[in-house]
Formats: sequence, C-alpha cells, structure tokens
Amino acid sequence: MNPLLQLTGVGKVYRRGSQSFHAVSEVGFSIARGETFGLIGESGSGKSTIGKMITGLESPTDGTVLYEGASLWTGAKFNRLKPGEMQIVFQDPQSSLDPRMRVSAIISEPLQALPAAERREKGSAERLHALITRVGLKMEHLGRFPHEFSGGQRQRIAIARALITDPSFVVLDEPTSALDVSVQAHVLNLLQELKRERNLTYLFISHNMSVIRYMCDRMAVMQKGRIVETGTVADIFASPRDAYTQTLLSSLPSLHAKKVDTEYV
Amino acid sequence: MLLEIKELTVEFSSMHDRIRALKNVSLSIAKGEIVGVVGESGSGKSVTALTILGLLEKNATIPAGSITYKGRNILALDKKELQALRGKEIGMVFQEPMTALHPTMRIGDQLAEVIHRHRKISYREAYQQAVVSLAEVQINDPELVARKFPFELSGGMRQRVVIALAMSAPPDLLIADEPTTALDVTIQHEILKLMQELSAKRGTSIMLITHDLGVVAQVCQRVVVMYAGEVVETGTTEEVLRQPKHPYTQALIGALPDLAEPDQPLSAIPGETPDLRNRPCGCVFASRCAHSLPVCLEEPPVLEQALLEASSHQVACWRRDM
Repeated sequence: MNPLLQLTGVGKVYRRGSQSFHAVSEVGFSIARGETFGLIGESGSGKSTIGKMITGLESPTDGTVLYEGASLWTGAKFNRLKPGEMQIVFQDPQSSLDPRMRVSAIISEPLQALPAAERREKGSAERLHALITRVGLKMEHLGRFPHEFSGGQRQRIAIARALITDPSFVVLDEPTSALDVSVQAHVLNLLQELKRERNLTYLFISHNMSVIRYMCDRMAVMQKGRIVETGTVADIFASPRDAYTQTLLSSLPSLHAKKVDTEYV
Repeated sequence: MLLEIKELTVEFSSMHDRIRALKNVSLSIAKGEIVGVVGESGSGKSVTALTILGLLEKNATIPAGSITYKGRNILALDKKELQALRGKEIGMVFQEPMTALHPTMRIGDQLAEVIHRHRKISYREAYQQAVVSLAEVQINDPELVARKFPFELSGGMRQRVVIALAMSAPPDLLIADEPTTALDVTIQHEILKLMQELSAKRGTSIMLITHDLGVVAQVCQRVVVMYAGEVVETGTTEEVLRQPKHPYTQALIGALPDLAEPDQPLSAIPGETPDLRNRPCGCVFASRCAHSLPVCLEEPPVLEQALLEASSHQVACWRRDM
C-alpha cells in the first residue's frame, strides 16, 4: 500500500550571509494511513522543523515531501492540495491561541481556507457544538476567551480547532509537554479516541520517550538534524541499535528503574 | 533534623479573596538526605520552598506553623538574618538558570563575588576558588568557562554554573525547584547525578521539588507527595512508589504513560483540583476520589502511619487500611 506521507532526502539549511546551518539533513521516512508515527529527539534535533515542512510553515531546501503521492513543495511554494486536509497542534496553547479571540472564532478560523459552501457546512452551529463537547468542553465555553481556561482546556480548544476541517492527517508537536501528568493523561486519551473515531493519521513529535512509547506504532529517533534509527516502537524500546537511542533510553528517569509493583497501581 | 516544618499554613490575600496555599504542611529533612517534594501545579511545593527561604510576596501571611532550621525558628528571623541564611546556609537552584545568572557579567566574576562575600577572602582568592567550583560541577576547561558570559553557554552548562553558585558557600541545605525541567533528558540525567554526588561528598541535604516521579525514583531517598497545598503521603521512595497508599498518589502513578499498555486508556483522574479560596471541609481529594466514604467529605484526615510495621510511611486518608 502506498504511504500517506513520504519524506525522501529532506533537508533544511538556514543561511545568513556566508554562514549556513543544517537544521535537517537527509531525512526520510514514511507514514501509512491510520498510523501514529513518533518523532523523538532533544532540543535542536530538528524534529519540529520537520513538522513545519510537512504542514507548509517552512520550505525544505532539499528532498521531496509526498502526500498521497503528490509533492507538497515546488521549490519554496507550498502546494495546498486539499485545504484543511492537514492540521497541526502546538505545544503551548498559551501562545498558540489568540488571546483576543473568543473560543468559537478560534475553533472556526481554519475554515477560512475552505471554499464558501464547505465553510458554511463545516462551520454550522451544530457541528461546532458537537465538536466542543466531543473534546470535553461545554457549549457555553464557546463565548469565552482563552485566558479563562486551564492549560489542559486550552489544549482541548487547540485540538478542536485542528479537527474542524475534518483533516486526515494531524501533526502533534509536543501536545502535552506543558501539561501536568494527570492532565496529560486526559489529553492523550482524547487523542487516541479521536484517532479511532475519525481514522486519523498522526505525526507525534515529542521529547518524552514514555509518551512516544504509549502513543505510537513506529518511530524515528533524531539527533542533530538526522535520523539515527527508525523502527517499530516495540523493537526500538526492546533493543535499541543506535548508541544515541541507547543513551536516550538509559537517561530516562523512569519508574521502570525501580521496578514498581504494578498490582498496586 | 536539619530542617523541620510543622503544621505550616500559608495564605495569600488579594483585594477580594484569601487563598490558603498551604494547609498544615509538615515535613523534615535530615542531614545528608535527598528528599523529593512532588506534586502538580498548585500543589504548594514551590510555596513551601519560598516560605523556607523567606521569599514570599508581601501579600502572604503565615497564620500557623513553624519552620526550624538547625534548631532556630526561621519564621522569626528578620530580613538581615534571613539574607545571611540564604546563599550561605541554604542554597537555591531554580528551573530557569538564565534568571539566576547576571546576563552581562562573566561566569567567573559572578561566582567570585558570592564566594568573596560569604567566605571573607580576597577577591583574587575567591576567583581562583570559583574556577575550582566550576571544575567540581564537572565543567571541562573551567578557566575558559569562567571568562564566558551566560548567553554563551548551553542550558545544561548554565544549570551547572547555578549549582556551582548555590554550592559555593557551601550550604548545608540545597533547595532545588524543578532544576532539570527545562533540560533535555540526557542533560537532566547528568545534572541529577551531579547533585547526588555533591550531596554524598559534602553531606549536603537536598530538597528536590519536582513534578516528575521518575526524577524522584532516580535520586531521592524519601518523598513527600503534595496535593492542593497539603501533604497527602510521605515515606521512603521505595514505600511510596511501590505501595502508594493515598488514592491521589496511586492515580498519579496510574496517569503516567511509563507503565501503561499502549492499547489501554491511561487512568486519568476525573474532575479538577479544588478551589483554594474555598477549601473543602473534608479530605481535599475526596471529590475526585474513587474510594471516598461519607466521612471523607466531612472531616479532613490527618497524616498517620500507613502500616503498623513501617513508621516512615505516612498517609492522610480515611481509608489507609485499604
């Protein structure tokens, strides 16, 4: 089966004068429809840049990004194939939600990219109500402003905004890294449920190994702009081959280390 | 005990409200011990640290409780005595190293200034000492780093400098509030190891405030679990993480993706943290608890021994026999 998304030899070089910085080099992986693919790495590894090159926020300087077999980039021009087909959820809902917009306007904003008829259909009051309750908020929340919500609630708003256009593919860039553990659990559960209900495909970007292990089917480990290891989550966690992956796994301060009795948990 | 907090209550008042941020918090730290204080946002873990350091905002009041450090009541100290205590006796490390460092002063000078002040030695000697202390936090080429400015260093290097700064006096107690939260896991691993080594080598006690149970498991001997401004459970790390007795501790461990089966939903805690302006009259966790009884809604449980055989393990729960 053809992959939904395929990256081949993707690179991103930032240049200033005679200096150049290779943020991403020769990155290749593919994501099948319905899969959750994890991208893990430390700060500066280039994982977020990849998310941006897939969603059209940064143009690659090398390689090809294919979505359903069609190239997403012609030089620095992003070919918007089907508007709303792809969405992104960012780490910090504090900065990714406009503080002066009401929740209803925030959630409906991605519809601006759609043709008028589709916009009316997808932006109907019933759909908005159904979506806001589906992500665990209430209808009366639609009239409020972002500052009236907790971090977890704000991330639910960001998720609703991503889903309003009925995307097939969602990039999740550290979606729970700013949240408390108990709140993170709610958001991860919600993301899993939504994926099943809507046949979504996720690219899950995170620095958190435990979250990647829990959420993803396959994963790639990034270091300094390059992929050092790709494989199924089960394989990589059981027997990491690359030295850097091994270091990452052994650095993880985890309850595994102390062999917690799970029967009490 | 080096530090002993007894039934500490802290309130913040604004124009309209009074928020009880801490209620009857008791905890102690022995010499050389690393104690983890763990909790989520709003649990009161940072307020506890700020109270010890005498760094609470002006709108804070302490209606009850005591903090005894080496037999002295810290809450009775005046500004000058507190200043002498901070830095010299009690060091601190916060989450964001950049906020603790002077942005336009070279690393060596920043360290030398503190050492010069606390140890009453000449500036020249203090500078030499500064280079030594950089080497002690395992910075390669300390002479070179001493001549650099904070912005020239990575986050992990900056946090090493802050630890060197905090340890320079050297203090008997180090309060570290989320010291590795802004760092990558591999760097976090090194910083935690470094803190452990410094503690073992010099007998420094560490109060490690964190939201991360994994960090507690890695470095702490004892742990204090806080929820909504109260201590709900305390014991050795082994006791609390292996056999958590408080439903909140159990739920917190259950919410971690670390041990979860990928195809099973995570056991998320229902509801939200209580409004600290109107604390519930019973147990602070009762409204979210799967095991609550009528008594839980009416009377607050006190921190008591969880099991007959282990006196170190204490829990504030009406159903501790569970």
